[in-house]
Amino acid sequence: MSEVKSQSKTFSKGTRDVPHHSQKAKKWYPTEDEAKPKAVRKSIRTSTPRESLAPGAVLILLAGRFRGKRVVLLNHLPQGVLLVTGPFKVNGVPLRRVNARYVIATSYKVDITSLDSKKIDEISGDKYFAREKGEKKTGEDKFFAQGEKPEKKKPSSSRAADQKAVDKALLSTIKKTPFLTSYLGSSFSLRKGDRPHEMQW
Amino acid sequence: MGRLTEYQVIGRHLPSEATPAPKLYRMRIFAPNTVVAKSRFWYFLMKLRKVKKANGEIVSLNVIHEKRPMKVKNFGIWIRYDSRSGTHNMYKEYREMSRTDAVEALYQDMAARHRSRFRSIHILKVVELEKTEDVKRPYIKQLLTKDLKFPLPHRVSKVSGTKIFAPKRPSTFY
Amino acid sequence: MGDAEIKASYWRLVEIGRIVLVHGGPSDGKLATIVEIIDHKRALIDGPSTSTKTAVPRQSIALAQLILTPLVLAQLPRGSRTGVVKAQWEKAGIEAKWQESAWAKKRTQKEKRRALTDFERFKVMRLRKQARFEVRKSMAKVKTAAAK
Repeated sequence: MSEVKSQSKTFSKGTRDVPHHSQKAKKWYPTEDEAKPKAVRKSIRTSTPRESLAPGAVLILLAGRFRGKRVVLLNHLPQGVLLVTGPFKVNGVPLRRVNARYVIATSYKVDITSLDSKKIDEISGDKYFAREKGEKKTGEDKFFAQGEKPEKKKPSSSRAADQKAVDKALLSTIKKTPFLTSYLGSSFSLRKGDRPHEMQW
Repeated sequence: MGRLTEYQVIGRHLPSEATPAPKLYRMRIFAPNTVVAKSRFWYFLMKLRKVKKANGEIVSLNVIHEKRPMKVKNFGIWIRYDSRSGTHNMYKEYREMSRTDAVEALYQDMAARHRSRFRSIHILKVVELEKTEDVKRPYIKQLLTKDLKFPLPHRVSKVSGTKIFAPKRPSTFY
Repeated sequence: MGDAEIKASYWRLVEIGRIVLVHGGPSDGKLATIVEIIDHKRALIDGPSTSTKTAVPRQSIALAQLILTPLVLAQLPRGSRTGVVKAQWEKAGIEAKWQESAWAKKRTQKEKRRALTDFERFKVMRLRKQARFEVRKSMAKVKTAAAK
């Protein structure tokens, strides 16, 4: 604290206190107040999926790469995300997470009791769909890598095995209902005169 | 439920020492609600007798319901109508299910033909014409012919789900 | 002058006893009969069906809200009450006659098709395709046989 002390200087006619330089009033002030970040008042709430989204329901995807495809709902993930599968063999849709908002639930339900619930729980876990963290190329390496084509990501063999395991059980039940395989294989689109708000699903 | 209701309003002069039991006056009034009905009662009574709201009272007010609302009837209505140039008496006929319907139709008809307002019409009398011979107006007479039948030769079909744009004009003839 | 060709009119008439289909409003798609003509735009109708689902309460209705059917209760007196209408209705077997008509069948089919779910719509599409294929196949067979 010794530094903050003011000095007393003696002049010819008397003494005067000279404050320490850190104690002096600032010469410059900011013209604008510093912006304070807003306190976040939102909270993460648990989402309740609509009633029609029961596991086993056939869904129509409305957005994304697989839009129009009819898929089977397997499980609910937190925050309004759904776990679906094509099955991959039928329509090319892999085990995948989709937003519940971008989905039409149809009234048809596939029996998924034969599925291995442990497997599904594993897939529904947090880490299953997490992105793999590879080495980040930096500096020179990155610069030289620009010309080369990036290596195409290959589906991991463990994922493919999971897909097969899930689909196998599912396909055996799907095959029992006539037309169901081709139904799942076909994709949905609106035709002339179709009024989606008046249709039954 | 139509626009108008028929009310029976009974009122009298306030009793005084000279006349402890003043005469009762009864009116059948077509009005949208009780407030208007009472107001119309005083309006008409002031024209007829030396009684006004300030020195009179309403004894009773009740709704008159149609006796047979599911029967089609012919009504003759006498009115007094203040036109832009003078006052006229009129007699008109309507074919409706109830007295109030007939009066509603009258107001609409008068508004359409003469641009008249509610305030310029006094309904004098509403009578059900029970006999066919009593019907005077040809526009009601034509509906009372025996075995009345007619086609609907020009119709615009309002089928839901039709397209907004069509290559052909719709057929209205059938 | 040539002979005038006189044809009876094929128009369906607004008349007492005419069976009508209500179009729009709370009794949409239900059958009733004209009991009395009020004026050129309105009629008093009554639909005395036994089941409450298809019954139309006695009411005054605009002719614009009605579609005339070819069925008529010829003997119905003017302004008859619900009891009489019901007796005649049942005697004439209106409900059965209506159900048999192609018009009613088309309507029920349309309603049914509208109520189909997505999967059922798909199945209908596939079955129709199959039927069409069979028809075309047999047609082609007949054609080739005729060409020979």
